[in-house]
Amino acid sequence: MNQAPLLQVNHLRYAYEEREAVRDLSFSVYPGETLGFLGPNGAGKTTTLSCVCGLLRKWQGSMQFRGQEFAPGKSSKQRALLGVVPQELALYGDLTAQENLQFFGRLAGLRGDKLRQAVSRGLDLAGLSSRARDRVSTFSGGMKRRLNIAAGDLHSPELLLLDEPTAGVDPQSRNHIFETLMELKEEGRTLIYTTHYMEEAERLCNRILIVHEGALAASGSAQELAQSLDLPDANLEQVFLQLTGRSLRD
Amino acid sequence: MDTFRAAWLIACRDLRSYFRDRTGMLLGFALPIALVGVFGFLSTFLYGEGGAMGRASLWVADEDQSESSARFLQLLADAETVSLHPAVGEDAVTESELRQKIIDGEIHHGLVLTAGFGQTMEQGGLPTLRMLRDPGRTMEDMMIQIGIMQAYFGVTEGNAWPAMMGRQMRQLGMDDDMAKQVESFSESTLQLMRTVFPKSEEEPEAKNEELAGFDMQNFFTQMVPMEEEDFSPPDRPKMVTWMQAQSISGITVMMLMFGLLACGVSLIREREEGTMQRLLASPAPRSAILWGKFMFTAIVGFIQLTVLLTFGETVFHVDTFRDPATLLALMVCTTLAITSFGMLIASWAQTQKQAEGVSTLLILMMSCLGGAWFPLQAFDVPVYVHYAMRSTLTHWAISGFQGMFWHQQSWLHPAMLLDLSVLLGFSVLAACGSLLLFRRRLDA
Repeated sequence: MNQAPLLQVNHLRYAYEEREAVRDLSFSVYPGETLGFLGPNGAGKTTTLSCVCGLLRKWQGSMQFRGQEFAPGKSSKQRALLGVVPQELALYGDLTAQENLQFFGRLAGLRGDKLRQAVSRGLDLAGLSSRARDRVSTFSGGMKRRLNIAAGDLHSPELLLLDEPTAGVDPQSRNHIFETLMELKEEGRTLIYTTHYMEEAERLCNRILIVHEGALAASGSAQELAQSLDLPDANLEQVFLQLTGRSLRD
Repeated sequence: MDTFRAAWLIACRDLRSYFRDRTGMLLGFALPIALVGVFGFLSTFLYGEGGAMGRASLWVADEDQSESSARFLQLLADAETVSLHPAVGEDAVTESELRQKIIDGEIHHGLVLTAGFGQTMEQGGLPTLRMLRDPGRTMEDMMIQIGIMQAYFGVTEGNAWPAMMGRQMRQLGMDDDMAKQVESFSESTLQLMRTVFPKSEEEPEAKNEELAGFDMQNFFTQMVPMEEEDFSPPDRPKMVTWMQAQSISGITVMMLMFGLLACGVSLIREREEGTMQRLLASPAPRSAILWGKFMFTAIVGFIQLTVLLTFGETVFHVDTFRDPATLLALMVCTTLAITSFGMLIASWAQTQKQAEGVSTLLILMMSCLGGAWFPLQAFDVPVYVHYAMRSTLTHWAISGFQGMFWHQQSWLHPAMLLDLSVLLGFSVLAACGSLLLFRRRLDA
């Protein structure tokens, strides 16, 4: 990449009391790039995203966003640069889809026409325009997942962090979400995307980081990763297993 | 985005959810109203209208069936501290039935007027009464004794006084001769008083203080040299009793605490339902999350308090809206103090279960110590209980409402200013504590 990174993470460390979840992790994300963030359960993916979006504040290392020091946990302006789609559904079941988007849009600083347009776009993105006035508690898991993504992207952030957005949904919803992400990618949006679905990552991501036990195991495109292991015909899942081992992670 | 706007957005979202759950919301208002109603209503019976002591039930078996026993029972029925049974229309009971009722726990006191009651009285003697009782019911026992004493003096028209004095002296250890001298002296004194203060037979209704004659029933109470002077605020509603005002204040404050805690717990629900992550990741200042919950809880509390006090005014006529400025000051300070308390618990607790457990315990303890259940402040308690009482916000809130309802204090009255200041102090301390805990929880 010749251009300057949008986000630069250097020597990131984070520990939950005695257990070190992220160990000296460094990576960059470039404008317009979709960065896949892969790793087995407990590898430190969610912790890393939580540090980047400011949910966790006591990390070590440094971060720069467009070359500026970045600590979103301490700056609401810096948080406005990011959109977050948490792994857990973060929606209010007693509000309608439209009310959820309006609320999160207002919190992101949108008002008036901008808010109306963003909500309308979000409902379209989630394929829920016809259910806009229905309460979220009446939605299926897939509908909630789609709305969860729309809520994170409402204010069109410079960097959208997606933590396993397709987990636990049926193939139709998963396909819809995947197509939505492809649309965002084609729009030139910058995404960091964690998933356990290797074929999704292979199709969607320009570049993939594989983390293992809190540290970076490898990075590059799917092809580059395979070649680095002297397995030119291997798919991403084989590469992943080669790098992270076959033992169970609980 | 500024903190206030973000907090207001969060409060509005919570209010929308709160009012959308209509059953939950109605229960939130109906339960406190029901409790205030029941306690206010019951306090009329427990403490009597006009704030007098309530009546204790006394069952009587009249085995004498004489004119004297009937007259005695009539006087007993007129006594302010006794509620006599069987009432008119109820079946008469025998001594053995009284015994069985006490054993069965149906009644606590039974009085037997044995055969010969009237005859002994006609002969100038002291008829012996037989009291059957549950020994643990000391409070009722005292009230019944007062009623019996009044009726006994009344039925003998004071004639029994010399004999009673003699009996009392003998019980104190005086020998029989000396006791008889006391009886004789008492008899002479009684006759002298009756000569000096003759009873008006012709116009009993028209008698005034000077012509009232000698009344043994009031004789003892008038022995102490005491001038009575009543003080009560001119605007105090005549129908309201002190205990009613206490009950309405106490239960209102207690129920407000329960109601607001449920709102405060919405902070924990955000964590448990995952929405906290999105709130924290949003550009809204983090403290706005806590202040948003604070605003939501305070708004609901203010509405609940308004509804409860309006109910109290409508049903019990406690003259709630007499002084709007004082009422507003009290409502604001009480709501703020209780809201801050709720937020402190919600910030401390890790789960909803923890919050509900701890807060229920604390609310019940504070309600008990603060006087929400019974007027603890009216009793002489050990110093440590006194301090424990004053360390609760319920004490100051109830004291404020009592000051307004009963003492008709304005917000400028020093006692009311103290109540308001302490409540505000509680609010500031608890709010700072909850902010610290909230921040610590975020950094954990």
